Amino acid sequence: MKAKNIAIIVKKELRGLMNERTILLAILLQLFVALFSSFLMVGLTSMYDPSSLSKYSRFRYSVAYVGNDSALNDYLSNSRDFTVFSMELSPAVTALQERKLAAVVYVPDTAPDAQDPVKITLYTLENDLQSAIVNVKLKDIFLSYEKDLRTLRKARITEQPVPLAFNPTRGGGDFFEFVYGLLIPLLLFMPAIIASALVIDLITEEYQHETLETLIASPVTFSEMVWGKVIACEILIPIQAGAWIFLLVINRIAILNIPQIFVLVTISSLVPILIGALTALHYRERTAAQFIFSTALVVVLLLILAIPANPLNMVTRLAVGSAGTGQWLVLAGVAVAAVVFSVLLQLYAGKVGREHHAG
Amino acid sequence: MGTFADIVTIAKWEIRRTLTQMSKDTLPLAIVLFAALVLVMGFTAQSGMHLQDGMYTIGVDDPTLAQVLASDTRFTVYELDDATLWNNRQAFDLVIYRGTALPATTERGRAAQKTVQRDYGQYTASVYNRQEDLFAAYPLWIDIQTVKSELDFTATQSGQYISARPGAAAPEPEGDLLDVPTPSPTLAVTSEELRTSLAETESSNSQLSRYTEMLSSSDTGTTFKTPSQLSPPLPFDSIILIFIFIFPLYFSSQFFMMSIMNERIERKGELLLSTPVSAPAIIVGKMLPYLILMLAISAGLTVYIGAPVSIILPLIPVILFFLANALIIGMVSRSFKELSFISIFFSTIATSYLFFPSIFANVHVISLISPLTLIVLTLQGTAYTATDYLFSTALFWLTAGVLFYVGIRNFSEERLFSEHGLLTRIREFVGSSLSEKHTFASLFLLNGFAIPFVFMAQMMCLVVFFNLPMPFSLILLILFGAEIEEMAKAVGIYTLYARDPSFFSWRNLLLASGATALGFLAGEKLLLFATLAEITESVFGSILFLSLGMLWLPLFLHFTAVCVVATCLKLGGRKWLVPGLVLATVIHCLYNLYFILGWLT
Repeated sequence: MKAKNIAIIVKKELRGLMNERTILLAILLQLFVALFSSFLMVGLTSMYDPSSLSKYSRFRYSVAYVGNDSALNDYLSNSRDFTVFSMELSPAVTALQERKLAAVVYVPDTAPDAQDPVKITLYTLENDLQSAIVNVKLKDIFLSYEKDLRTLRKARITEQPVPLAFNPTRGGGDFFEFVYGLLIPLLLFMPAIIASALVIDLITEEYQHETLETLIASPVTFSEMVWGKVIACEILIPIQAGAWIFLLVINRIAILNIPQIFVLVTISSLVPILIGALTALHYRERTAAQFIFSTALVVVLLLILAIPANPLNMVTRLAVGSAGTGQWLVLAGVAVAAVVFSVLLQLYAGKVGREHHAG
Repeated sequence: MGTFADIVTIAKWEIRRTLTQMSKDTLPLAIVLFAALVLVMGFTAQSGMHLQDGMYTIGVDDPTLAQVLASDTRFTVYELDDATLWNNRQAFDLVIYRGTALPATTERGRAAQKTVQRDYGQYTASVYNRQEDLFAAYPLWIDIQTVKSELDFTATQSGQYISARPGAAAPEPEGDLLDVPTPSPTLAVTSEELRTSLAETESSNSQLSRYTEMLSSSDTGTTFKTPSQLSPPLPFDSIILIFIFIFPLYFSSQFFMMSIMNERIERKGELLLSTPVSAPAIIVGKMLPYLILMLAISAGLTVYIGAPVSIILPLIPVILFFLANALIIGMVSRSFKELSFISIFFSTIATSYLFFPSIFANVHVISLISPLTLIVLTLQGTAYTATDYLFSTALFWLTAGVLFYVGIRNFSEERLFSEHGLLTRIREFVGSSLSEKHTFASLFLLNGFAIPFVFMAQMMCLVVFFNLPMPFSLILLILFGAEIEEMAKAVGIYTLYARDPSFFSWRNLLLASGATALGFLAGEKLLLFATLAEITESVFGSILFLSLGMLWLPLFLHFTAVCVVATCLKLGGRKWLVPGLVLATVIHCLYNLYFILGWLT
């Protein structure tokens, strides 16, 4: 194996990628994923915790209170989110239907300490964004009222949970688990998936476009050609991962232990690339190779995620700074896997290469 | 009959070839892998996803709480006595000290507190669920009655998000009073049924719902809820089921894509083209096995999960859409690399378009732009109406149809074996549908048929932006909506220009712009009247599809904008395409702003 020959192949493949502007598509794709992640984040949060968008928190919703007077009425009246009107049921629901109200609450005359539960009827608009927001705001009020009722009926409860008090926090912390526990590992390992699909394309292309003979006739050996392609794909990993880390950091998402993350991602991404190369050498035909590889990838990914302290989890822990010494074990494990698959690829490529030179 | 026989022959041939081409161990290995997949899924379900393990380090002085929190793998829990805990509190993200949770003043500390709060909520729920006297532990039950508002979106048309304005006096209903019966004060179900539904809620709080920052409350058997169950239900189970449906469809369409690509490698398809079989018959024949496979998979899954058969109906246009795109991608890409990247790109976008709206299935009408929402609703037990079906699938039917037409038109030796770059090839594809003789008529048709694609792209923007705070979502929507339209209109003009720059005399330029504007307008209005009433009535719709009713104004706008692009091309050459587009977009935006915000008046 000559480093010079491998370098020639690496350059050739990278140039090919540049010329076809496929790299551009890959970048667009990643931007798109990021855009949609943020959409999901903002969308879901605003849906389930509307006060996270300041726009809604300034607004007072009109609600009608119907039926027996209760502590709930006081809670509603004292809330900064609602303006409460005492009304009759029929006009109130009609007004709701005409969108003059945001919700109608009906309270029956069940005594707070009665044997039966207090059943409140809540009328809201069907399939409406606003009523989703109102429901979430009403939920807090209902929870306070539930707590009062529970205290009144305390004597009948045989086992109380261990009490735990929380101080209200100054917001924040909403996106923490999403960003560090999902987005960062996902974004940093996506280049590995793209690169391993790419290595299959590069190898099967030589077979299916029948350009292999030309290559074999050249001074480059078969193994050198395979390694050149693997390295060309591997080079893309730190570039893409680096771009992501850079983008996240300038978005003021603090990532700790960047050098360790970089090393871990680069080494662990080599494993799927090597597996992809082995699959491609075995099948020599894109459809079968991609099919088998992607199914296998799903199996392996699921399996890895089910194991505690997997590389993805380690990226999360490194990024938040709670990795500890376990990180070196994981890194060593990944490195061993990479070496094992490298040896396998070297042996297999050597065998296939001898067949080609003989035939 | 002849065509039909041809199709069957080609289909048979396709099946035989696929089976022989795949080496012998592919199929057995695939079966082994699928078996492994099932096993691994079982294992993962059992052991859970370990993605967020050990994110927080917390110290607890209470043994019960320590045990509760230790069961959540996100925490590394240290159980210490009071004094040690207090002295070392700096080392933790959060300490639980004498019955109070004290988070560190970092982002991680605040996030830890949220997670502890949620886990604690679950713990209290599990304690209360065991109570003999359920109504002492859960004294408050809420019965949600939904009211359908006939006004729906029209009230928000003025740009106001919320119409219920607070006033000093109680609002007076204008219409006839509804007769609303007084609700019964008692629950209609036994406390045992309620206990079961509470237990369900507790267990459905899976790891997946962590990401969504809430205690999810999927459909409990009863309509009565405790206050903590009040969040709008997120249809997680159904969404995961949809994944199981869509995933095999992606795979199958990949095979079709590859089969088309294979015809083009080393001109292998020449043989096929030299037979007297027509291009449509070849394409339909090649597609048929995959179509049947996909339908069979969908039907099999439906029967397996015991879902209503009606969920296949929304899947059919989705399947055709995948196949149509597979055909075009297989026809335009020059190499495997390109094929991979384009297909990954396409499937990401298609997935987003299909999935994200369906998350809001229970919350907002906007979710209906994805056919998958119909499936979610059906799985939840709500039937969809014919209007719903038309509304969510129309764009898929239309775009699939147009793409098939383009594919068939270009299924010729000249196009299939051309070695041009991607963009040039796409331009060639468009070009072959522009006739040389009836240039203006075909320009008219091209723009008419571009409309479904424009709508799809705009819908995508709508999905992305509708959750942003109001002014931003409007501004972004105005910008992107205008830009997408201008780009679509420029396609025909640019193709003509690239084919023959001398074609654009001033007279032809005006005529071409006119044809483009007319075609665009005709397509827009036709599709709008047919399907999109639900969206068009919202304030967002009014930006995208402004000006129903007045026809000459939008025609003039389209004409002016296209003219600007064409003139830029004529005077400046190809370099001026982008500046021309920018200019046209600006004009389009100003026009929209004038009508929506009443500027300049």
